[in-house]
Amino acid sequence: MTDIYKTRKSERAPQQSLCAQNRFSMFSVLRISLRAVTLATILAMSAIAPASAQDTPRAKALSKRVLCMCGGCEDSVGLCNHPGGTFSGPCETARGMQKDLDAHVTRGESDDQILQAMVEQYGPTVLVEPPKKGFDLLAWIMPIAVPLIALVLVWEVVRRWRHKATLAPAGGPQVSPEFLVRAQREANREPGREHDE
Amino acid sequence: MDILGSFALLLAFLTAVYAVLAGIAGILTRRTLLTKSARNAGMAVFVLVTVAVGCLEYFFFSNDFSIVYVVEHSNRALPGFYKFAALWAGQEGSLLFWSWLLSIYAFLVLFLNRKRHPELMPYVGVVLAGVQTFFLTLNNFVATPFRVLAGPDGAGVLHLAKMSEGHGLTPLLQYPEMVIHPPMLYLGYTGFSVPFAFALAALLGRYPGEKWIHITRRWTMIAWCVQSIGILLGAHWAYAMLGWGGYWAWDPVENASLLPWITGTAFLHSVMMQEKRGMMKVWNVWLVFTTFMLCILGTMLTRSGVVSSVHAFAQSSIGSWFVGFLIITFVVCFAAYWKNRDYLRSDNQLDSLVSRESSFLFNNLILLAACFAVLWGTLFPVLSEWVQGSKISVGAPFFNKVNVPIALFLLLLTGVGPLLAWRKTSFDALQRNFAWPFGAGILAGVIGFTFGFRDIYSLLCLILGVFVTLTIASEFFRGARVISARDGTNFFTAMGELTMRNTRRYGGYVIHFGMVLVFIGIAGTPFNKDLQKEMAVGDSLRIGPYTVLCQNFDHLDNANFESDRATLEVFKNGKSDMMLFPERRLFHASQVTETMVAIQSSPLRDLYIVYAGRSPESGKPVIHAYLLPLIKWIWFGGIVVVLGTGLALLPNRRTALVLRPATERSWAEAIVEAAPAIGAVARRVEGHD
Repeated sequence: MTDIYKTRKSERAPQQSLCAQNRFSMFSVLRISLRAVTLATILAMSAIAPASAQDTPRAKALSKRVLCMCGGCEDSVGLCNHPGGTFSGPCETARGMQKDLDAHVTRGESDDQILQAMVEQYGPTVLVEPPKKGFDLLAWIMPIAVPLIALVLVWEVVRRWRHKATLAPAGGPQVSPEFLVRAQREANREPGREHDE
Repeated sequence: MDILGSFALLLAFLTAVYAVLAGIAGILTRRTLLTKSARNAGMAVFVLVTVAVGCLEYFFFSNDFSIVYVVEHSNRALPGFYKFAALWAGQEGSLLFWSWLLSIYAFLVLFLNRKRHPELMPYVGVVLAGVQTFFLTLNNFVATPFRVLAGPDGAGVLHLAKMSEGHGLTPLLQYPEMVIHPPMLYLGYTGFSVPFAFALAALLGRYPGEKWIHITRRWTMIAWCVQSIGILLGAHWAYAMLGWGGYWAWDPVENASLLPWITGTAFLHSVMMQEKRGMMKVWNVWLVFTTFMLCILGTMLTRSGVVSSVHAFAQSSIGSWFVGFLIITFVVCFAAYWKNRDYLRSDNQLDSLVSRESSFLFNNLILLAACFAVLWGTLFPVLSEWVQGSKISVGAPFFNKVNVPIALFLLLLTGVGPLLAWRKTSFDALQRNFAWPFGAGILAGVIGFTFGFRDIYSLLCLILGVFVTLTIASEFFRGARVISARDGTNFFTAMGELTMRNTRRYGGYVIHFGMVLVFIGIAGTPFNKDLQKEMAVGDSLRIGPYTVLCQNFDHLDNANFESDRATLEVFKNGKSDMMLFPERRLFHASQVTETMVAIQSSPLRDLYIVYAGRSPESGKPVIHAYLLPLIKWIWFGGIVVVLGTGLALLPNRRTALVLRPATERSWAEAIVEAAPAIGAVARRVEGHD
């Protein structure tokens, strides 16, 4: 698995550097024409450009939606971290994937297209979140559906209990010894303790 | 020694089995002598497991590298402190540790109640011994810690092994909090066995009334509190040790520890419905069953590696044993419930939708929803693989999206619930109680918004946090005013008096307040910033109000590890503020590298600096700086929660609801009650913020 992956990456390497050059020219044009204001703000905010490949906010955002496939960190590409490795920042795999993402962004693909491309390359585990379609949609539906069903049930229970409460006085109070103890306790309560727990 | 340890474990297993069988026989034949013998056997298990634990520790401290477990988790140069902690560093030791903690609880329960509840305790003894038997089975036959590293002809090879070195303790665990965090979590996991045993016992023995709840209230609270400490220490460890600027990654094992905590919280609330109104008896029994089963599930997720996790320090096929035990537990619980369900008939009635009762119902609904969401997300990859044949990932963003709204709703209920009266609350009372806390919350929201709290969830959290805090404050205020008017004491004395008269209620409020602080701390997350930069001596980087100047890089060496260290001077608003020393350590024995994060902590924000190592591309040192707002509130909130629990455990000053006179309390009980406080102190000593 890793071997296949490594050869793939080495094949891709020359392409990447080409893309990187392309991206630079394309981006300077784009930036000047369209995003001058945004850029100014971003520059002002961050002051220093990060050293890694995360050049655009979009690529950075995408890097948090894609899992690092090195198999050791279980983190997203953007958060990849190896406390036990020689370098605790993003590992080689994460940096490679980040470069891929940058290349995709430079080509002007949409987020969905990019994520789709990543899935084709690495398989469905690459997505940090389960996709919202097919069987995996259940992952999203259940945490909403189950509480809603539970809410309906609670509502039904409340309705029944209230029904009981309105019926109760008609039969006359049946006083159990336990209830008597509780009633005495509540009656003996001092002021300042009246709303107990 | 290894023979002594193994023998003690085997004997413990046999004794536990005997305790189960004799206990059942004693219940069936109603022979007091048999019951007594079963109880003594249950207590003897503690002694035997303690001997086994003592043996294993002896191997660690005598550097006996003929024992596989010692070789794998220790080395000569390991500090004594960590040699002790190496007990729970791996699979076999952790399970032994589980057994041991359970045996301690069982011993205390059986010993403290030896003259009380004669019709309930035999059942409790059987249940506890049953759980103990399962873990001792694992200790003896599946994961024995006393395996000897031996060649075919014994002695010579053994001698060689003894002379050699161990692989060392995982550096990740070589951190003071790691010595406390696992025991706390395990104490929580095992602690929920006590209310579980009592609930099952009360059901099996048809023990009348709410007595089992009264008996186990303190045990449950201690288990809950210890679990809270464990979770927060784990979060703090992840924060201070893993060097990614976060504290909670929704890792399966973290989730596993959260699940029983959530159901335990629900249980602590819903028992009040049963105590005050005799409602929800079935629900409570099932809540405590669920909590226990989630504890077992949590141990299984940690120990078996069913779901991949950074915590899976030891993985094996032990999972099937746990699945088996879970099934048995469920069957026993269900059978007990089905057979005796008529005994659980509750006098459920509800007078109004706007009442304390309904707020408890919603509280439980929300907590269970959160529990389900976490469980669902944790197990979904397994389910997906099973159904579709392909694994998928369920990462932190999923859990955040699903759980943050649920948590905020819960926070709202924390404010609303306690102010609703039992039975029925009038609209006027609602207005009177909520108008100004709610108004102040909105005001805080507006102020927060203008000061840059521009994240919707964070903003809501701030509004609700202020709202809840003020409702709690108003409760103290109103109660204290009544007392000070009547007794003529000053206001603060009255407040103390009020609290001490109903420690459970006001301790509960303090816990709520602690949770508010934790929530506020979490609300800082969307405003995190980070920056990674290659730095040479003389370079600087700017983040927020801080400028970090690189002064020096040096190299340290000792018997356990060598380390690369950066010396950084931090300037705040242009003025020199402090020095920070982030490190990277290379541990000799394991040849594993570890980051030592340097943190400058303040209530407003933490400056968190990681020396990430040398860049693989340029070879220059890389510094990763994070600016993390409000994190400190989480740890502080945790301390408040612990103090609140301590308060709630104190007996009330006037004996209105006291179960037994204070004079009867024995030393052991006092120690048990002091445990959370000790934990809190230890936590403060250890925490470096």
